[in-house]
Amino acid sequence: MCDTCGCGNSKNTKTVDINQSLLKKNEDAAIRNRKHFDEKGLLVINLISSPGSGKTTLLEKTIEKLKESISIGVLEGDIETELDAERIRAKGVPAVQLTTGGSCHLESALIHKGFHELEKRIDGNRLDVLFIENVGNLVCPAFFDLGEHIRAVLISVPEGPDKPVKYPRAIRTSHVLVISKSDLLPYFDFNIEQFKKDALSLNPHLRIIITSAMTGEGIDEWCEILKNGLK
Amino acid sequence: MRKKKVHEVSIALGMVDELMNIARNNNAIKINSVKLKIGRMSGIVTDSLIFAFDAIKLEHSLLSDAEIVIEEVPTVCKCEDCNTSFQTDEMYFPSCSNCNSLHVRILSGEEQQIENVELEI
Repeated sequence: MCDTCGCGNSKNTKTVDINQSLLKKNEDAAIRNRKHFDEKGLLVINLISSPGSGKTTLLEKTIEKLKESISIGVLEGDIETELDAERIRAKGVPAVQLTTGGSCHLESALIHKGFHELEKRIDGNRLDVLFIENVGNLVCPAFFDLGEHIRAVLISVPEGPDKPVKYPRAIRTSHVLVISKSDLLPYFDFNIEQFKKDALSLNPHLRIIITSAMTGEGIDEWCEILKNGLK
Repeated sequence: MRKKKVHEVSIALGMVDELMNIARNNNAIKINSVKLKIGRMSGIVTDSLIFAFDAIKLEHSLLSDAEIVIEEVPTVCKCEDCNTSFQTDEMYFPSCSNCNSLHVRILSGEEQQIENVELEI
């Protein structure tokens, strides 16, 4: 362009307008996953929560209730170990462990790979519901659409009632909020009405279910969603 | 680097793939800069994103001198209860500046976009 005046501006540059999401790669993969799940007639649920909120325990209880009426598969996300997948398999349900090796969330490409692995294990049999248990973390998983139909966030009573306002993205991107360990309510300063009010203010469409794996509270209501979808 | 990742690293890796595609499609010899629009409420820590990008870009000669330019977008909200519009610099979810309600619609501040890329061709 300008080789003679000495301004050094001799290179050809071009600005290309992009205007696309920074998460496009994952979003594209999520769209492909969802299409694939839809073709299979599969309901896919992405479970997110802090570590120790009871995602795997909720799954165990769900499997006990529903195993006879619907066919369930599970993709288990963790940083390391096969422990959770083993717990699920012990209940007689096929499970593939996805270990992220350090990453604090699951991404669509890994789900795609894990689902094909699961399909091999079920040997052509049909699945009705696929659970994806995300890595325990209330921050990063909220950024990554995995192609699920329902995102369910668990918050357990011992974590405290301030979690919705501290982790608004997890609440705002979820369809269902499961309050777990409700049997511990008498022992904690946990105002459930205020908690619900905060959560619904952040996301007025949120379906809130109070559950306890110990007493069985709310498990039927949760299972109803899995059988008939969100009504 | 490729294994241990918070979401900013994943986002930087995805962004690098996109940038390389864009460079190839335009027959660029170099990527000079990339302009991002990041909302205050997007949940993306821009320092972490730049840190990750600066580490990953060294793996690609087209990209090794590229710089990130970030336009930070303030959070602008409207309260669904009392209709007050307000702007905030807070990183966390805002309650209404007038009535304290959390029933707030976010008008801007959640952006996480690649705006444009400057290429040398």
